[in-house]
Amino acid sequence: MTEPLRMTFDVACPAEHAFTVWTSAIGTWWPAGHTVSGAPSAVVMEGAVGGRIYERAADGTEHDWGEVTVWKPPRLLGYLWHLNADRADATEVEIRFLAQGQAATRIEIEHRGWERLGDRASGWRTRNQAGWQSLLPHFLAAIGPVAGPVTGPSAGPAPHQREGDRQ
Amino acid sequence: MAAGRASAAGDPFEALGDPNRRAILRLLSEGDKAVQAIAAELPISRPAVSRHLRLLKDAGLVAEHAAGTRRIYRLRDEGLRAVQEYLEGVWGEAAARFRLLAENTTPDGPGRRAGS
Repeated sequence: MTEPLRMTFDVACPAEHAFTVWTSAIGTWWPAGHTVSGAPSAVVMEGAVGGRIYERAADGTEHDWGEVTVWKPPRLLGYLWHLNADRADATEVEIRFLAQGQAATRIEIEHRGWERLGDRASGWRTRNQAGWQSLLPHFLAAIGPVAGPVTGPSAGPAPHQREGDRQ
Repeated sequence: MAAGRASAAGDPFEALGDPNRRAILRLLSEGDKAVQAIAAELPISRPAVSRHLRLLKDAGLVAEHAAGTRRIYRLRDEGLRAVQEYLEGVWGEAAARFRLLAENTTPDGPGRRAGS
């Protein structure tokens, strides 16, 4: 139940290009339905360890989703992921780009960190309830926005700041 | 285990696709709650909360029981699996879109494939 979520698929392009599309072009393919605003004007992954992953909404508000932790183009990428939660509640995403020849790449995605969160909650009423209490917020955080004031004191669930028109 | 997705009435994927319903699940993860208590935490009306709860119940994510005149809602254990499956679906959609982009662009720009 708390095992890492794993997915593998092949893509017909060189690993370098796959890595570039996954990172610097993430805004062109990440499903808009799985963002905070639902219709971001930009999604940005900064290309370095410590780089921010964030969405810029149409009104210029920025919503942080995560932070790059491993940056080894074109083979390995890692980041913390907290689309709708505090950084402390982040799960971890690791993506391997395995070259299968000139124009074929195998992509391996591992989304993990649930089990760690589950362990932390062992001691709650029952194991299943502990699973819910510890895991659900993180699953929900990975899925998308949660309505209402339950996730934070003000309008937005994630830390965000206003910026002018940077682009 | 197969109860959730196969249930005739509700689709957990649809149930999870709404921020208000996800907020309700998050509230219930803190403990069982009555409709009133849930509504007090959300910026939507009590009838709206009841509608969302009914949908969550049809999807197998929550269950209810009566306590006096109040209805108490709790998360169903099987529901967590549905949430996990939903997340797998999110990654699947992202992966499909990624592949479309990666295979139809080149490092120099969109539109041309290397070697074609």
